[in-house]
Amino acid sequence: MSGALRFDFMHFMPYVHLPENHKEFHSTWVDFPNKFYDPEKGHALYNRYIVELLLAEKVGFDAVVVNEHHNTAYSMMAAPNLIAAAIIPQTKNVKICVWGTPPNLEYPNRLAEEYAMLDVMSQGRLEVAFPLGTGMEYWANPISPATARARYRESIDIILQAWTADGPTTYYGDFYTYRYLNPWPRPYQKPHPPCYIVGTGSPETVELAAKHGFGYSAVFVSKTRALELNQQLRKSSAEHGHPVRPEQLPLQVITYVAETKEKAEAEAVEHIRYFFEDALRTTPNFLAPPGYLSVAELKKRAALADKLHGGFSFDNVNESFFLAIGTADQVVDQLEEWGGAMGTNHFNLLCAIGNMPHWKVVKNLSLIGQDVIPRMRANAAVERRVAAE
Amino acid sequence: MSAQAFPPQFKRETHTVNGLKTTVLTAGRGEPLVFFHGAGLWHGINFALPWTEKFRVILPIHPGFDEADDDPAMNEMHDYVMHYLDLFDALGLEQVNLVGFSLGGLMAANFAVQAGHRVKRLVLVGPAGLRGKERPKGDLFLLPPEEIPSLLVSNFDVIKPYLPDNPKDLDFMGARYREVGTLARLWWEHPYDTKLPRYLHRLTMPTLLVWGEDDRLLSVQNAELWRAHIPKVEFQTFKGAGHLVLDEKREAVDAVQRFLS
Repeated sequence: MSGALRFDFMHFMPYVHLPENHKEFHSTWVDFPNKFYDPEKGHALYNRYIVELLLAEKVGFDAVVVNEHHNTAYSMMAAPNLIAAAIIPQTKNVKICVWGTPPNLEYPNRLAEEYAMLDVMSQGRLEVAFPLGTGMEYWANPISPATARARYRESIDIILQAWTADGPTTYYGDFYTYRYLNPWPRPYQKPHPPCYIVGTGSPETVELAAKHGFGYSAVFVSKTRALELNQQLRKSSAEHGHPVRPEQLPLQVITYVAETKEKAEAEAVEHIRYFFEDALRTTPNFLAPPGYLSVAELKKRAALADKLHGGFSFDNVNESFFLAIGTADQVVDQLEEWGGAMGTNHFNLLCAIGNMPHWKVVKNLSLIGQDVIPRMRANAAVERRVAAE
Repeated sequence: MSAQAFPPQFKRETHTVNGLKTTVLTAGRGEPLVFFHGAGLWHGINFALPWTEKFRVILPIHPGFDEADDDPAMNEMHDYVMHYLDLFDALGLEQVNLVGFSLGGLMAANFAVQAGHRVKRLVLVGPAGLRGKERPKGDLFLLPPEEIPSLLVSNFDVIKPYLPDNPKDLDFMGARYREVGTLARLWWEHPYDTKLPRYLHRLTMPTLLVWGEDDRLLSVQNAELWRAHIPKVEFQTFKGAGHLVLDEKREAVDAVQRFLS
């Protein structure tokens, strides 16, 4: 690992008050009836979650991360920029990461404008990611999954042009026409805020990140696959003339720290179970709307889908995904090992997982801030000194 | 899967049209009868065999379906009309009897609206694509893929031989996924052809509309949308038949043959 370590706290802001009979529903996404959403409980949750995001800065995290989903109890952030806007004036130093709005679900000029606003408001603390959007988002929005990848490429081109070219410019594309692309304001950071692609490992999106010199974060893929994807990005980016920097490879880890390993597991596992079994529960049809995946990719994922979305075994999940559950020392060792293997110094920690109550999130963030982050920074400083000598 | 979807009487030819490789199945002698298939060919074309006694039956496979090549740039019905104008030219077909089923029915209607002189007689079998006032029905995308086959027929035994033994057969799933992906390019954002009714008055050739009375995918009420706009159209329905009325009822196949003869 080289360079300064970077620690992010990612929040999904789930709606956790599912009805008792929720398991009778095949999915908590797309068609899960919104009559189960109680706005009073939602209000309390938004307030609570914002407090948790703000706490991250106080205990020593470098960044807070929010993202976007639709029609689901998994996330109450249909519009993550609103959350970012609420957090910016209450923080001073943390990066505000909107990872992010799928460009296909907004007019690209408007997304460029909103991100530029946040970047200016935060004095250059914004980082963005361009997800294609899960299959589920395409059932909830009026955009075709069959042309999604082509539209996505075009949207990103437009956003980058809007940010980097002196306007007014024009854009005559297959999906959008701009006679005067001239957004006010422009981003605070030059040439534009750091960009990432987050994805589940489609070769097309990795290649796109490489082409634009973006970072890449694989989410909900196995450890082995995440390693392959990092290697693929490194190779591909270098070919495009954008050597990857370690901080461009955020490693997403479900993290929980307690006094002992047993206690950490006892406190965290039920919420991890909820996350995989209930919050992520959806159908193969929702995951892969028509034309969203190539046929080869569909066949590959058809076998894996059941494993990830519904049907939980802690051992399986622990084996397959990045989970650091234990004492501070154990979590430090684990993160350092994975950071080394993945060639990254950027840790995106999921510290408020599933229906975890506020006290556990506070405890977790505090212990990570008190014991994990400082130790890892100290270890990295020693390592840098040794390397320099 | 035990039944053969394409009976051996059909000769298979490959044609490259405007850079796109497609398969054309042909059997029989006589006047040309072109059949535009629906959004899936897995249930086969055995129903078409009786037509081969009087017609040269020509069954082209649409780009993006079954064994035909795909072209992501084909994303509206007009592209298919142009494709078939090219293919008919390549096959030397000046004028044909055109039969279209479901998606193929919408395609045939569009083709006949634009190139009426190429169509001697037109048969639309359970055509898809017109929007009624009632809540949209027949949105294929809303159905989980594994539920679609049983909704297509009144008598499941008719299609059972064409389905894989394992409902999660990856090759079968993959092939269907490819087809709904093709369909999604045409229909996801605009599942109905809202312009077509404006032009259906151009269907001045003898036209027959066929529907299964027990169609659960696209109810027989949809026939009224077509009858309201086609100036002169014969209409026949068949009891005990679902969407795949030709597969289920020999009488429907015979009715088409009589109309075209």
